[in-house]
Amino acid sequence: MRTGRFLLKRLVYIIFVFFIISILMFAIYKAMPGDPVKMMMQGNIKPEVYQQQYDNMREMLGLDKPIPVQYVKWITNMLRGDFGYSTEYRRPVKDVIGVPMRNTVLLNIFSMILVFMISIPLGITTAVKKNSILDKVVQVVTIVGYSIPSFVIALLAIYVFAIRIPLFPISGVRTAGFTGTDFEMFVDMAKHMALPVLVMSVGGIGSITRYVRASMIEALRMDYIRTARSKGLREKVVIYVHAFRNALIPVVTVTTWWLIGLFGGSVVIETIFVWDGLGKMMISGLNQRDFSVVLAMQMFYVILSLAGNVLMDIAYTLVDPRVKLEN
Amino acid sequence: MKKNKKSTMAKATQRMLVGGMMSEEQEAVLTPIQMVFFSFIKDKIAMVGVFCFLFIFACCMILPIFYPIDVYYQDVTQSNVSPGFGMLKVPKALSSDAGQLSLGSTFSVGIDNEGHVYEWGNFPTDKLKKLPKDMGKLTQVSAGLDHILAINENDEVVTWGNDRMGLEAIPVELRMGEKPVKVYAGYQMSLALTDKGRLYSWGNSYIVDIRFPDGVQGHITSFDANNDIVIALTDSKEVVPLTKKATSYAKIPDGVAGHAVDMAMSDESVAAVTEDGRVYAWGNNIKKTCDVPEEIQGHVKAIEGGRYHYTVLLDDGSVVSWGDSTFGQDQVPSIQEPVKKISAGYYGNYAIGESNTVYSWGLDGYVMGTDDLGRDVFRRLLKGGRMTMTVGAIAVIISTIIGVVVGGVSGYKGGKVDNIMMRLTEIVSSLPFLPFAIILSAIIGNSITETQRIIMIMVILGFLSWPGIARLVRGSVLAEREQEFVTAAKALGVKEWGIIFRHILPNVITVIIVNATLDFATCMLTESSLSFIGFGVTEPNATWGNMLNSARNATVIEKYWWRWVFPSIVLAISTISINCIGDGLRDAVDPKSKER
Repeated sequence: MRTGRFLLKRLVYIIFVFFIISILMFAIYKAMPGDPVKMMMQGNIKPEVYQQQYDNMREMLGLDKPIPVQYVKWITNMLRGDFGYSTEYRRPVKDVIGVPMRNTVLLNIFSMILVFMISIPLGITTAVKKNSILDKVVQVVTIVGYSIPSFVIALLAIYVFAIRIPLFPISGVRTAGFTGTDFEMFVDMAKHMALPVLVMSVGGIGSITRYVRASMIEALRMDYIRTARSKGLREKVVIYVHAFRNALIPVVTVTTWWLIGLFGGSVVIETIFVWDGLGKMMISGLNQRDFSVVLAMQMFYVILSLAGNVLMDIAYTLVDPRVKLEN
Repeated sequence: MKKNKKSTMAKATQRMLVGGMMSEEQEAVLTPIQMVFFSFIKDKIAMVGVFCFLFIFACCMILPIFYPIDVYYQDVTQSNVSPGFGMLKVPKALSSDAGQLSLGSTFSVGIDNEGHVYEWGNFPTDKLKKLPKDMGKLTQVSAGLDHILAINENDEVVTWGNDRMGLEAIPVELRMGEKPVKVYAGYQMSLALTDKGRLYSWGNSYIVDIRFPDGVQGHITSFDANNDIVIALTDSKEVVPLTKKATSYAKIPDGVAGHAVDMAMSDESVAAVTEDGRVYAWGNNIKKTCDVPEEIQGHVKAIEGGRYHYTVLLDDGSVVSWGDSTFGQDQVPSIQEPVKKISAGYYGNYAIGESNTVYSWGLDGYVMGTDDLGRDVFRRLLKGGRMTMTVGAIAVIISTIIGVVVGGVSGYKGGKVDNIMMRLTEIVSSLPFLPFAIILSAIIGNSITETQRIIMIMVILGFLSWPGIARLVRGSVLAEREQEFVTAAKALGVKEWGIIFRHILPNVITVIIVNATLDFATCMLTESSLSFIGFGVTEPNATWGNMLNSARNATVIEKYWWRWVFPSIVLAISTISINCIGDGLRDAVDPKSKER
C-alpha cells in the first residue's frame, strides 16, 4: 500500500511539474516572433477598416484578455489535443502529427530493443569475466561508442553501408511509389530503418553496457552472492537471478534518462536520414516558422520526459521491493 | 598508499610537485587532492587521454597564429580541393629548362624551351590531363580555373580542359588572318590578343561583360583580367577598363595615363608600371594589394598579379612580392641568379632565372583540402576547435557555478530551501534537452549578431546542464555537513557562507572536478550537434559541428571525404579523450570504483 501512496504522490508532483513547464512553454509561445493576428488576416483590407478588423480578430483569438486568462485557454486547448493550426501544412496540427509520431516511436522502439539485446548480455558477460581480454576490448569499444557524436557515426555509417557497400538506402522512410504486400512494405521500411536504428543504438550500447557491467560487479561482490554460491546453486542462477536483479536498480535510472535523451537525440538522426519523424518535423517547423507544430512537438517531448520519470518510479518499485520511496 | 608500490613515474612527479623538500625515507602525508593526482597519473588510459586532448587543445590555441584565417574569406576557385601538396612542384625535366609557366586555380602548366608542355598540381577536372594530340610545339600557355589556353608554333590557339560554357569555341578570326600574340585563360572565360591589337573573348559571357570604349579595339598591346573585368593597355600607353559601368578600377591615378608600359590585376585592384619604373596600384585595397613597397619604386620592369598579391621583376633581376601573405605568396625565396621572367596567378608565383631554373613560392596545397566555398579545412578545423572548446568550457563553467551554488545551499540548508531548490532542479532536468535547446536557439537567435549568438549558445548549454552537478554536490554536502569539523566551525562562529564555501566545498571539490570534466565532453557534443543541424554557432564562424553541416549529403560524403573525415576524427578523439580523463579521475577519486 505504501508503494501505491508513493506512486500517487509522485504523480501529483509530476502534474505540478508539468504545469510549471507548461507556463515556460507558454512564455516561449508568447515570445515567438510574428503577430498571430496579422498572420490570420488575409487579403486586401482597406486601411479604414483595418484597425476595426484587427481588433475584432484580436478579440476572437482572445488576445485582448489578460495573460493568465490567455494561459488557461491555451493550456486547456493543448490538453484537449488542439495544438493549433499549421501554417506549413495548412491543416490543424493534430491531423499532421500522426504519421511522424508513429515513425519516431517505431525508430526509437527498435533501437531500444537492439540496445537492450546487446548491452545487457554484454554487460553481464564482461562483469562475470572481469579483466579478461574480452572485457578489456569491450571497455575500450564502449567508451569510444558513447563518446563519438551520433552524427559522426551517421556519416560513417552512410559512407560504409550506403555508399561503399550499398546495402541500405540513405534516406527516407520508404521507397517512393513502392507498393506491394504488407510484408514487402514492412521489409522496405525495415531497410530504410536499418541505418538510423544502428546509429542511434551505438551510443546507448556503449553507455548501458558500462552501467550494467559496473552494477553487476558491485552486486557480485555482495555477501548474498557468496551465500547463494555456497548453497550450491548453479552459477547461471546466481548470476541471472540473484545478482542481475539487484544490479538492475542503477541500470533502471540510467536507462530512463537514456530513453528520454534518445527521443530528444533522434532529432539529429532524423534530420540526417530524412526520417519523417517528430524531430525532423520540429526542425522543418522551425525553419518554416510554423510555430504551432514546433510547440506541439515540444509538448510531446515534455510529456515523454515526465512519463519517463513516472515510469522510472514504477520500475523502481517493481525491481526492488525494498525501495521505501519516502520523499 | 604503500611506498613500495609507487611507480618511478609517480615518484618523479611527486618530487616535481612537492619539490626537493621531501626525502625518500619520509612517508608522505598526502592531501586528498594529491592522492587523487598520484593515482590518476598511474592510469594509463587516462594519461593517453590527457596527452591527446592537450595536443589537440594546444594545436587549436597555438597553430592559428601561424595559419591565420579570415572567417569571411571564401574563394570559389579553390572549392573542393583534395588534400595534398605539389601545386608548385615543377616536373624535373621542366625545372631546369623552363620557357614559360602559368598558374591555374590549383594546377599549373608550363612549356620548356623546345615547346613541350607539362602540367602539374591538383586538377579540378580530369579533362585537363587529356592533351590535344596534334597541337605541335607550343610557344605560350595560360591556365585558368579549369582550362588551359595555348598558342602553338603555327600561330594557332589551342584549348583543353573544361570545354563547356563555349570555351571550346575559338573565334573564327583567330584561325584566319590574325596572329594571336597573347592568350589568357580566366574564370570560365578565354581571351586572346592578336598582332592587329584586337582582343577577342569567348566562354561564359555572363561573368565578365566586355565593352570596348571607342578607339580601343585595334590598339591594344596588352591586357589582364580578373573575375569582374578586363583591363587593356593601349599603344598610347593608357590603361583602359573594358567596361561601361563605373568601377573603382576607373579611378586611374595621375602619372599612369600615357606612360604605362605593363599592367597586372589582382582580384580587386589594378597595378600599372610606368616608363620610369614606378608602380601605381588602385582599386579596392583588399589585403594590402595597393600598398606598393616604396623601395622598389623606379626599378620595376615587369609586373604580374595573383588573386590578392602582386609580384614584380626589378631592373637588377631581383623579385619582390607584396599583398596577401596567407599562403606565403609574398615570401620570395632567395634566388642566387638574376631572374628573367616571372609569372603569378591565384596564390602562387614562379620565377625563371637566367639558367632557366624555376623558383616557386606561394600556395603549394592544402593539408586537409578545402570545402565547397574554397576555405582551407585545416585552418577552419583549428579555428573551429578553438570555438568548440571555448563554448564547451564556458558552458561548463556556467553550469558548474549554478550547480555548486544550488547544490551547496540546498544540501547545507536542508528543509524548505532544499525542497524548493530540488524541485527546481527536477524541473530543469525534465526539460527535453536537445529539443529545448533547439527551440530556444531558434527563438532567441532570431535577431542577434553572430557574437551574441555564440554567447547565447554558451548560456543555453550552461543553464540547461547544471542539475546533474547540483544533485551530486548536494549529496556530498549532506554527507560532509554532519562531520565534526563543520560543527567545530559552527562553534567558532564562522558564518554560514564561510562554512559552505571554505570548509565544506574543498572536501567536495573532487566530485565537482570529475563532473565538470565529463560535462565538458557533453557540452562539446551538444554544441556540435546543435551546430550540425544549424541551430548552434552558424557560418561563417567555424565549429567542428557546423563544418560537418555542409557534409550532410551523399555526394559530399562520397566524393569530398576530406570535408567530413577530418572534423569527425578530431571531434571524436577530443570527446573520447575527455571521457577517458573523466573516467580516470572518477577512479582516482573513488578508489572503490577502480576494482570494477
